[in-house]
Amino acid sequence: MESISRISSLLETARDLTLEAARDAGPRKSTRPLPAQQIKKLLDSRTEREVLDGLRRVIAMQYANPPQPTLTFFPAVLKTLSNPYPSTRPLVYNYLIHHAEADPDTALLSINTIQKSLSDSNPRVRAMALKTMAGIRVPVISQIVSLAIKKGVSDLSPIVRKAAALACVKCVRLDASTKPQVEEYIATLLTDKQYYVAGAAVQAFMEVCPDRLDLVHPAYRKLCRMIADMDEWGQLALLRLMTVYARRCFPRRTKTVKRAQTREAKAKDFYEDLEPGAEESEAEYDEIEQIEPDLALFLKAVQPLLQSRNSAVIVSVARAYLYLSPTNYLHHAVGPLIALLRSPQDIQQVALCNIVQVCLCNPQHFVPYYRHFLIHSTEASQIWRLKLEVLTLIFPFCGKDVQHLILAELEHFSHGHNVDLVRESVRAIGRCAQSSDAATSRRCLSLLLKQIHSPDQHLVGEAMEVVRHLIQRSPDEHRKTVVRLAKNLDSLTSPTARASIVWLVGEFAGYEPDDNIAADVLRILVRGYADEDDQVRAQIVLLAAKVYLHYLNAKNGKQKAIDALDGPDDGEKRDKEVMSPTEDDDEGFREDAFGHSGPIQQAEQQLEEQQHAIELLYQHTMLLARYTPSYDLRDRARLFRALLSVPSSTELASLLLLAPKPVPQAPSPSESRKNFALGSASLVVGAEAGISGVKGYEPIPDWVLEGREPDAKLRDDGDGKAEYVPASQRAAVSAGQMLDEALQADPGYKSNGGVKKEKTLDDWLDEEEEETSSKDSEERSGDEEGDRETEEESEYETDSEEDEKAGLVR
Amino acid sequence: MSAIEALYVFDEHNNLILNHTYDSRPPPPSVLLPLYLQHGSPRPSLIYLPSTSPPTLLYSMIQDNLLFLSPLSTDTEPLLVLEFLHRVADALEEFLGSPLLASKITANYDVVAQVVAEIADGGVPCQGEANALRDVVETGPGVLNNLLGKVGLPGGSAPALQGGPSGRLQAPQLRPAETAQGSAVPWRRSNVRHTSNELYVDLVETLSVTLAPSGRPLSAFAYGSIAFTAKVSGVPDLLLGLSTGGKGSGMGNRGDQLRGVMERVVFHPCVRLNRWNSDGVMSFVPPDGRFALCGYEVDLLGADSPLTAGKTAANNLNLPAMVEITTCLGSNGSDFEVRITQPSSSSHRAGSAAAASLQSNLGTGSRPGSFRAGSGGGGGGGESKGPALENLTVHVPLPTGVRNISDMRPSKGEAHWSPADGRVEWKVPSRDFGGPGGAVLRCTIQGPLADGNDGAGGMLNGDTATTYDYTDDEPATYQSQHGSSSHSHASTNGAHESGRRRLARYKELMPTSAMLSFGLKGWLASGLRVESLLVDTKKSRGVGPEVKPYKGVKYLTVSRDGIEVRC
Repeated sequence: MESISRISSLLETARDLTLEAARDAGPRKSTRPLPAQQIKKLLDSRTEREVLDGLRRVIAMQYANPPQPTLTFFPAVLKTLSNPYPSTRPLVYNYLIHHAEADPDTALLSINTIQKSLSDSNPRVRAMALKTMAGIRVPVISQIVSLAIKKGVSDLSPIVRKAAALACVKCVRLDASTKPQVEEYIATLLTDKQYYVAGAAVQAFMEVCPDRLDLVHPAYRKLCRMIADMDEWGQLALLRLMTVYARRCFPRRTKTVKRAQTREAKAKDFYEDLEPGAEESEAEYDEIEQIEPDLALFLKAVQPLLQSRNSAVIVSVARAYLYLSPTNYLHHAVGPLIALLRSPQDIQQVALCNIVQVCLCNPQHFVPYYRHFLIHSTEASQIWRLKLEVLTLIFPFCGKDVQHLILAELEHFSHGHNVDLVRESVRAIGRCAQSSDAATSRRCLSLLLKQIHSPDQHLVGEAMEVVRHLIQRSPDEHRKTVVRLAKNLDSLTSPTARASIVWLVGEFAGYEPDDNIAADVLRILVRGYADEDDQVRAQIVLLAAKVYLHYLNAKNGKQKAIDALDGPDDGEKRDKEVMSPTEDDDEGFREDAFGHSGPIQQAEQQLEEQQHAIELLYQHTMLLARYTPSYDLRDRARLFRALLSVPSSTELASLLLLAPKPVPQAPSPSESRKNFALGSASLVVGAEAGISGVKGYEPIPDWVLEGREPDAKLRDDGDGKAEYVPASQRAAVSAGQMLDEALQADPGYKSNGGVKKEKTLDDWLDEEEEETSSKDSEERSGDEEGDRETEEESEYETDSEEDEKAGLVR
Repeated sequence: MSAIEALYVFDEHNNLILNHTYDSRPPPPSVLLPLYLQHGSPRPSLIYLPSTSPPTLLYSMIQDNLLFLSPLSTDTEPLLVLEFLHRVADALEEFLGSPLLASKITANYDVVAQVVAEIADGGVPCQGEANALRDVVETGPGVLNNLLGKVGLPGGSAPALQGGPSGRLQAPQLRPAETAQGSAVPWRRSNVRHTSNELYVDLVETLSVTLAPSGRPLSAFAYGSIAFTAKVSGVPDLLLGLSTGGKGSGMGNRGDQLRGVMERVVFHPCVRLNRWNSDGVMSFVPPDGRFALCGYEVDLLGADSPLTAGKTAANNLNLPAMVEITTCLGSNGSDFEVRITQPSSSSHRAGSAAAASLQSNLGTGSRPGSFRAGSGGGGGGGESKGPALENLTVHVPLPTGVRNISDMRPSKGEAHWSPADGRVEWKVPSRDFGGPGGAVLRCTIQGPLADGNDGAGGMLNGDTATTYDYTDDEPATYQSQHGSSSHSHASTNGAHESGRRRLARYKELMPTSAMLSFGLKGWLASGLRVESLLVDTKKSRGVGPEVKPYKGVKYLTVSRDGIEVRC
């Protein structure tokens, strides 16, 4: 996340314009295109300068946009390989890799020269040759490449070994049948004691055979110890490998301290898995995650990586902690994750996705960092969306004043100009309300109700939606609120909000039938039906249906009660009902119900003649709906009419219209991608990629079952194993060869004894002391010599001397 | 899978300037670019394109106006790819100079081709350090450099003038591609020679401050980076000591204090973490040239500052300039006012912290006091007289409903309204800035509902026709506005009501925040200071005791829309 080019752009005005920069970019020969003939002439020239110039022009043509044809120069370019000028090599190789596929036959002509370079005295030349050879995409040469890698694997120079490790990847890509051989090479390289070779080997391992975990056992401890010194890319590959390795090789164990050490069953582990954040409860239960020493070694070893400048490394460490030991280590990774928020925007966005993912599992850890998630008005939508989400996730765990601040913050943004931001912040308030206690929840609700009078349509609509959700969550508390909302129908203009309120009124139409506003609301709304928006109309029609249904239900209920009371006397009337189930009939029952009170009966009788007001309202609404332009609405009306056509049989209609609605849950938006592994691309892409994620996505494997794990002893002989593998391999060849190879490999053997630990940089720099000790040991091996050369070279030791040594060994 | 498949670079006009394919057959840039541009700006850094064949994850990064794209067909750690793209930009900058320009890339395809090929071998990223690439990339412009015996080496005209023990320097010079074993330090190229030895430390802090309408700070962070420039022959081992400038005193030893101030630190791999953790000093062997040594952040409010801290807390931040915004002013409520002031406390402070440089005393003798303020230090221009405020700019974003700013009256500097960005930009020349009143900008907003004689009447009716049907509570408003085509008419007929209504309308069009940008040399918001920079002659290789590098320190605080005031 720290990148010098970013700092440079900050310094732009105060830039320390060095002469160096000017000189490097310095005046170059103009690259105006030359005719092909002339370029060929340059390539054929005998002077280094002209050849170089020619090659530059060819490369420039190859990269130019639109690309110019450069294939015609192939023979001429290859010919320059015979020149003794090493400065031309990189360009020739570049050209070769680029064009080999297009003209494999010509490309093969170069193999011989490259093979010669493989035994050059200069390790850099050897490495470059190996790299190039593996890069030539001509499948015929896969065996030659494989042999070259084999040679490279046992090279004395770590540079060449690193190149060999990376060549493994290309070799398998070239020809999958070489995979078994290549796996052997990788196994050897994994145990290399030079950290950057091991790093490259791990990268190759992850590319070629990530499932061959058996190759890792002997190198496990060594790799863990070396991880801090590897380069970032090696670290990344190793972190990925070890996370999988640990899940596959270390069964999850917990123990309860109070009781005698009983190992918990897998079921218990499973429970733990579901609640990774049970940190404080752990203290009560005295249940401790038992970490195998080997796993602890890894978890400890990666801790320094949290101070890496590479954001991917930090997220990878967080992933290892989250999936391997959430209780004991995860909190270490939280601060560094927060640090990613200061990185450039592109990284920030991806980092936030990962932070949200960790936050979903463990919100408490993020509470102290709430200030980091406050939104800036200049931020991109991808970023504030995620920040809002974090704020709502940590909201229930915050103290009172912080909650207050967050709500104030959300309120501020709900008054903003950005429609999306308004919507999201109102939704965020809703999420805060549903996840917190009653008092806070009420405060959120009143905050939202205040918004209803805002002139901003979007805000009102969104706020109403959220209010509706909140009311639905606890309907009994909110009957009054609904009445208050219904009063707002007079002034509200936002269609979404109106629709929400009308729906709510409909839902509450069944409460307190004697004192219900639903019918009255319907009466008022129907008057303005023509001016309403379609979604409001739909709700009005629905409201009419519900009100009518409640009316029918009440009536039928009474009818039943009367039936039960009256018994057989009623049979006659029931017959009547069956025969002609008309409205008048129902009215007839009603008359009976109130039969004993004179004046009311009179009134009822009058009503009976004109039909009840609710019926009239319902019929009127259905008529309105029938002539609505929206066909969807007409369809709905038809449905309701059919449902309610038989007033006495309302069971089906009740089932459909009055079904208890599920309590709406507004999950955190990222909840949908919670199953994706931290740090994967699928996590960032989210639902778009489908359930199984983007192609190539691999979920974190489950913990291995107790008893199924590989034997821990496999990791013990880590140092010895390095010798066994090649030895057993050699057993098959003839004795003479064996002798030769043994001689060749001998120094390598002894070096294992000679060097007691890997050389970190500090060791190298503290070499003064070590020098004496290593001189003491008689068997200073050739390989170590190689290392020493590396050291000495920076002390301006001559190269020729070192070449001599290399020659001697060979 | 973590292999990069291809790298495409486009210039600011979206012309392809670099197309390098590492592996397999990713969709060509001509297909990807339109799909990328489809997304509204600012574009996400990872876009999933299911419509391409194969379905592609498209990573993007913008640096110095260049657009870097990298398509991938399989699930890879997104941050790995993005970091890789940043490293490519860094490496190109190392070789081509900063800032990175499209013309530099097109003129140096040979170098660029080698850099992108070396930084990832067959798509597997394998070299993150730009400086180490110098060993393998052939940059020499031709024989000329080779005659001088050195290629691509800064100050290459006369090698081996200074440096360590003489005997070793007689060794024949090697060109990079020939350098045998490579450097023992993976991030430093081998055989570094400089005629003049120099060390520069640049501390840059970016401010991110949010102020509530009341003026109390909601959050205040300084994001710091230390850019280090090392031009020393051999393999120097350096020791950089920082001091907190009094902050966090009483928190144990210096290392603890420093770690208390510098939070969430990240380091270049060269820094020895255990030295930092034990002593609070940075001990490292630097790469040659310029690199980002470390990044940190400082919570300017302090970790546990009370939330109820009042306006005084804002003053405690010691910002060189403060901004306030007041809305709904004027008779119509259509004006807003932005005021920037210079807090009195910041003028005298940090005067001595101007760009300091020092010619170090003999070898080890650098003590805290030995950094003296001097002129012409650090390679900057004349910033010797104290912190210099530069590029003072205020941005006021306005909602899309604002049609025009009819009147802008800055008391100092220039202001202009750009409808495309939807914001007012106000630049105040730093020499004008200052004085007791600060500077004031007053703007009048014209929205679509602006009354007046500019033909907004029809729009007004059209816009409100449906709106007013349900505003039963304010029937008078409807009547009065409906009939009014001029201000005078409205004022006679229900002036109060219409005024209230108009106020509400304008309130919707008012800005909700203002952002302040500036650059300030010679001052750091965190108060950090470089205390010492030593060359450890014992541990260094090829650096003789007589080598006394020139040392320069520079402090810079930058706010890029970083101070945000809400209203």
